[in-house]
Amino acid sequence: MSPSRRFLSLALSAAAALAAALLPAPARAAKDRILVGATLPLTGSEARVGGFFKEGYELAFDEVNKKGGLDVGGKKLPVQLLLLDDTSTQATAVSLADRLVNSDKVDFLLGTYASHLVEAQSTVAEENKIPYVNGGGGATKIYKRGFKYLFGLISPVELLGTTLMQWIDEQQKAGKLPKPAKIALVWENTAHGKDFRKGVSDFAQKSGGAYQVTVDESFELNGKDFGALLGKVKAAGVDLFLVDAHLPDYITMHRQYVGAGLCHKVVTYGARGAEKDAIQALGADNTAYVLSGVWWSAQLAAKPGASRDFVGAFKAKYGGRDPEWFQALGYETARVLFTAIQQAGKLDRDAVREKLQALKMPSLLPGGTVEFKPETGNQVQNPFVVQQNQKDGTAPIIFPKDAATGTGTGANPKCAK
Amino acid sequence: MDRFVDLAVSAVLLAGLYATMAYGLGLIYGVLRVVNLAHGGVIMAGAYLGWILHGWAGLDPYLSIPLVVGATFLLGMAMYRVLVRHLPRGPAGGPASLLLLFGVWLVLRNVAYLLFTGNDQVIRTSYSTHALPLLGSFVSVNRLAVLAIAVVTPALLHLVLRRTYLGRAIRAVAQNADSCTLVGIDVERIYTLTFGIGTALAGLAGLLSATIFSFNPGFGSGELLKSFVVVVLGGLGSVFGTGVAALILAIVEVFAILVMPSYLTAAVGFVMLVLVLVLRPGGLFGQRVLG
Repeated sequence: MSPSRRFLSLALSAAAALAAALLPAPARAAKDRILVGATLPLTGSEARVGGFFKEGYELAFDEVNKKGGLDVGGKKLPVQLLLLDDTSTQATAVSLADRLVNSDKVDFLLGTYASHLVEAQSTVAEENKIPYVNGGGGATKIYKRGFKYLFGLISPVELLGTTLMQWIDEQQKAGKLPKPAKIALVWENTAHGKDFRKGVSDFAQKSGGAYQVTVDESFELNGKDFGALLGKVKAAGVDLFLVDAHLPDYITMHRQYVGAGLCHKVVTYGARGAEKDAIQALGADNTAYVLSGVWWSAQLAAKPGASRDFVGAFKAKYGGRDPEWFQALGYETARVLFTAIQQAGKLDRDAVREKLQALKMPSLLPGGTVEFKPETGNQVQNPFVVQQNQKDGTAPIIFPKDAATGTGTGANPKCAK
Repeated sequence: MDRFVDLAVSAVLLAGLYATMAYGLGLIYGVLRVVNLAHGGVIMAGAYLGWILHGWAGLDPYLSIPLVVGATFLLGMAMYRVLVRHLPRGPAGGPASLLLLFGVWLVLRNVAYLLFTGNDQVIRTSYSTHALPLLGSFVSVNRLAVLAIAVVTPALLHLVLRRTYLGRAIRAVAQNADSCTLVGIDVERIYTLTFGIGTALAGLAGLLSATIFSFNPGFGSGELLKSFVVVVLGGLGSVFGTGVAALILAIVEVFAILVMPSYLTAAVGFVMLVLVLVLRPGGLFGQRVLG
């Protein structure tokens, strides 16, 4: 191609692009549906949980559409979910959100799962001023960026540490644990682990000497050997072994823990412990009395209320299977957005954002209400439910009392000392 | 003193694991001068093979060693015959082989996602959490078994390389492939077998890891990195060097906890890698040919 021809073709393409940008988009007829965009990690490392969130989202959309849609300013509009696979990678999560907003022209966004993906993706929503409600980004730092359009339904992991300590404190006050109690605080070196550490160490600091953090160590994800770390814990002679870990590290570490003959009055791995897979992997006997805190549990359906309704609807749609907290949060995330849209009575993004900000909605989450406060960056602060594994492989809720389905054991009876 | 013994025991056991992971990578590089980036994928495949045999056939992971080793040996030979064989030899093949084998790894990983989803899996046996008292500390039965296999494997490799025709041929090919062709050694056959043996060693490492760790299709990337550090430290192509390097790496990583926070100990190995590459590019024990 000669230089002049190349110039001509370049100029033509530039003119075409300019014309496309300047011409008005075809005016849409009055809206006949509400388009909600979302990405989830349906493949890749977070695929399992991504699939769970999808089930929660779809259940919420089905329920609304069965009733004819959302009541928006006196008119019923069906809701449509445009769900894409972000392959568990940040770059894809961001570019697909961009596509949903600018190419698919979605009205609102629901969030993806896992803190690092939500952190990256929520910037697209903020830039485009689109309400972004998520149930998958728990790290507090996501909500400390002053974003106005970001709303999180997953309580901070810091609160997980605090809730566990509240139960431990009850046991100490009942004389079941020594005072002062020495703590080994072991956390994965991630935002998740740092939040957990803050929850526990803040509680210990404010306890007036009732708790002393004697070991404060972190470890890298997917560790191959915790022998040296556990040796340090052993040498410190602590009473409470409080760890924050993801499932693979929980299994590796607890295998080594049991093998090394360690035993502490209270043992927790944060949110891990009550999963059937983990109990099977380690044996019910070896995981007995392990404490864990979760955002929601199907056991909350034991009492009438939103959780029971959700579990009933979930089982009817998904072949009698029990939901885990992931599906519950996915479902509730969509419901929160729907409620705000109905309250706004129009599809105006800023109006919906304002309604989200002012929302106070009865919820299936522990605590019973969802609300977003600007001082916590619009991340909910609902309590966790604490479960304790039993020798028979079950894990009843033992805290808070109003949700309890069983009684907790204060100090691990397996430990001689 | 107790603490020292605990740490020393921990280091030796960890060394066993690192060495097992690294032998295959070292062997293939030593003979073919190819960095097998699919190593991590085969480790993952070995873990899943063991898991399938345990879950479906009820086979103990240690009894399934011959099956997993056999299957990954065949996989390795197939990989060589179908793919690696067509690469240019010498330095020109370097980037091409890296890309090709990285692609194989991605394929293996995504096939695993498709077949097994991203769920974490474990192999649980009656002795998964059993430990034996040793020098005042407790030692996991599984980790002891891994250590034993890590010691036996290079001894067997050494015997094969020194005492058999195949071993002599492999060493000869590693030294000078062109001369081997002149004296009637079927170089392609030796390459195929070596790639098979190296891949089988990765499969074995995966199976053994699965008795200790949980795994998912992403498993193997951390293992590949550690193997790489061990192989470079030990001197590419030296089987015994690999074993000793694994021990050095494990000792440094484990004892580092005495002077630094535990999350930094994993980085120590990579600092060592950089230092060795700068100061002694041939590895701590020099570059040998399957010594």
